[in-house]
Amino acid sequence: MNYALQRIAFSILSLFILLLTTFLLSHVMAGDPALVAAGPNAGAAKIEALRKEMGLDQPLFVQFGIYVGDILRGDLGTSWFTRQPIAEDLLRELPPSLELVLVAMLINLAVSMPLGLLTARYAHTRFDDAVRLIVMAGAGLPVFWVAILLQQIVAGNWGLLPIAGRVSFANRTFQGPTGFHLVDSLLAGNIPVFLDTLSHLVLPAFALALLFTAVGVRITRTSMINEFRKDYVTLARAKGAGEGRIMFRHVFANGATPALTVFGMQFGWMLGATVLVEEIFGRPGIGRYAIKAVTQSDIHAVVAVVLVVGIVFLVANLAVDILVYVLSPRKQKAG
Amino acid sequence: MRSLGNLVSALALSVAGLALAGPALAQPTGTLVIADNETPENLDPANATNSTVNELLIGAYDALVQFTAGETTVSPRLATEWTIAEDGLSYTFKLRDDVKFHDGTPLTAEDVKFTFDRLQAAKGNVLNDLGPFTGAEVIDPYTVKLNTSAPFGPFLSALSRIYIVNKALVEPHMADDNARQWLAVNDAGSGPYVITSYAPTEAVTLKAFPDYWGGWEGNHVEEVVFRYITEPSTQLSLLKSGEVHIAPDITVEDKLALQSDPNFRVDVGAAATPLFFMLNTASSGPTGNPEFRKMLSMAFDRQLHLDTVLMGLGTLPDGPLPVGWLGHTPGTEQGYDLEGAKALVEANGWAGTKLLVRYLPAIIEEQRAVEQLQSNLAEIGITLEAEGMTWPAQAATTASLETTADLNVTYSFPSFPDPHAVLNTVFNGALTGTKGGYNWSQYDNPAVNDLLAKAAASADPAERAALYGEVQKLVGADHAAITVSLPGSTVALAANVEGYVYNVAHHNTFNYMDIGLK
Repeated sequence: MNYALQRIAFSILSLFILLLTTFLLSHVMAGDPALVAAGPNAGAAKIEALRKEMGLDQPLFVQFGIYVGDILRGDLGTSWFTRQPIAEDLLRELPPSLELVLVAMLINLAVSMPLGLLTARYAHTRFDDAVRLIVMAGAGLPVFWVAILLQQIVAGNWGLLPIAGRVSFANRTFQGPTGFHLVDSLLAGNIPVFLDTLSHLVLPAFALALLFTAVGVRITRTSMINEFRKDYVTLARAKGAGEGRIMFRHVFANGATPALTVFGMQFGWMLGATVLVEEIFGRPGIGRYAIKAVTQSDIHAVVAVVLVVGIVFLVANLAVDILVYVLSPRKQKAG
Repeated sequence: MRSLGNLVSALALSVAGLALAGPALAQPTGTLVIADNETPENLDPANATNSTVNELLIGAYDALVQFTAGETTVSPRLATEWTIAEDGLSYTFKLRDDVKFHDGTPLTAEDVKFTFDRLQAAKGNVLNDLGPFTGAEVIDPYTVKLNTSAPFGPFLSALSRIYIVNKALVEPHMADDNARQWLAVNDAGSGPYVITSYAPTEAVTLKAFPDYWGGWEGNHVEEVVFRYITEPSTQLSLLKSGEVHIAPDITVEDKLALQSDPNFRVDVGAAATPLFFMLNTASSGPTGNPEFRKMLSMAFDRQLHLDTVLMGLGTLPDGPLPVGWLGHTPGTEQGYDLEGAKALVEANGWAGTKLLVRYLPAIIEEQRAVEQLQSNLAEIGITLEAEGMTWPAQAATTASLETTADLNVTYSFPSFPDPHAVLNTVFNGALTGTKGGYNWSQYDNPAVNDLLAKAAASADPAERAALYGEVQKLVGADHAAITVSLPGSTVALAANVEGYVYNVAHHNTFNYMDIGLK
């Protein structure tokens, strides 16, 4: 239990550092939000008045203090440009992005785990070389380019999947309690909307997963190879256990732990990488929201997005860490 | 008696409507889908200076007067007629008495006054263009008077962005933010369309308002959907698949290709948004010297830019004002003459000079213009370093002389087709970058400032034309800016869209209230 508390304290400290860095960087990078808010032909007096109203005339550390105080009270502030509570904006934008990331992660796991295991088992064979080559090539391709290519060919030319959007035009008014279309459609027993949502997720999720799969395969392979070398595998083989049994019951179960840590981190990275995919596939989400916020110097909204992505990243890691800890007998002894 | 008269005429109208019911009565039908590469920030009419907001509000709200797409003077809307006081300090408007807001409340002079009061309290950006406006007065339920502290020629034009809100609906939400939060996501208009759903990173839906005072004669759509699609290639795919009817943001190359496809049409709207290299005239560096700026102006080939960057989709600029506008005076700006520029560089020993230009790399035309000038200047021994940034960051660098680059690339987006909207914004000494304005040349010439003030105060078109002519000559002689281009506002449309016309007073919006599907 000590270990878990230590991890949580560490996470909170990381979040604070993240918050401070983003806040300071945004202020340095953003130009003058009052100037943007004032609009064209505003004149110096109006800009000055707005600067005061927005609290931008205060010293930076005072602004940061006020901001942190608000956050500790659970208030992410009001956006200078959407004029809505930022928390509400994010609650609307987060589900479509998380949905995308979850599907991308499923694709990532479904490809990385088996390929990692097989390339470890057949390490240094032609099969291993071929997979490594393909995976490396995949990682080297720019996501941007792959996404556009997939969209043009699979959706545009062949018409197999939708070109853009979150759902088809006919289902555009669909709404549910959780904001996750996949969940809401199932809760409502609306299978057509579920399938429609899923079909709109395939290409973007695939494009997003591609970047992470290369790392996923390699990490899984490395940790599995280490397992194959261990004495218990030799012992199991000596005892005459079948190769399939060794691979799945022994090697996979033990070797998956280090890989799991990496997948936990990938989850957060994926959320940060949704921007590109959302722009190309015209999907709503936190990435698009962030871009708009950045181009308008909406500092509090930018910081809030970074904070939320940071929280998702830390929670995913924390969950994986605790899971690994629970699964691993050695760590239990050490703790 | 008046209200009884209204009731009688309303009854007469509805009887007439019943009699006409059936095929003769026009009914809006179909859904028009418009793509836009930029998402809206909110729905607040105070913020209609922003085109992503304005394109939604122009259908949901009415103004006192408005520019019909394709026209360059305002025509009556909520106001049926108006008189201007002899001293030019007040405008009295007679209002229509048959206008209903979307919730059924009748629109009266109280709503007009409330709209202006709220904009003043909320420091609404749309008031920035209303010059010396001081306040609104209710004369009677259908008469309203707007006062100014000085005569202001473009006053009526500027009213085209003042959208009248429903007082009964908005007032309860005023709170301490002047209903900013409420109006940011709610519709309080009387326009032909009602905003029925608002998902700012995804889509916005508007539906035809059956009780619209203007009626629904002719071919109109029942529903308008804006879909936010950033990527030009995605817009093109959606246009081709029929999921989108209007795609404004596809590449120039793709627009040219669509021109020869019978399933599509490419509309090239009037070019009214000049792109400039703003030269830092107040600099202590080389651009502080008018002769040096003359050399820079000689080094940029506007015709080449029009031919190779815009692929001909635009107008060759001739000075800072869009060609054909009131007061446009040809030949005021130094033209392209690379040999002459070279001679100036040699005569003055300017070879080896390093300059900095700032621009928005997200806008391809700006990037190409920078590359073009870089390459021409390199030929005559001058190095132009380019720094790309976001708009807020670029604007912030102009807030002090020390951080203003030698050159800044920027468009002028006039909010109505009047020389004031370009020349005053770009060259008035009261609106320099250091004063929070968009005059990034930091150009402050008292003679120009006087002429601009005189022209703004005049209501006589001939007098104004002459004054603006003088402004262009002085600005040209001072080489304050290089007018790079007048890009046409090009939009790709599906062939079944009819009635689209570019509206020069509402750049980057669509006249969907006039559009029908064949």
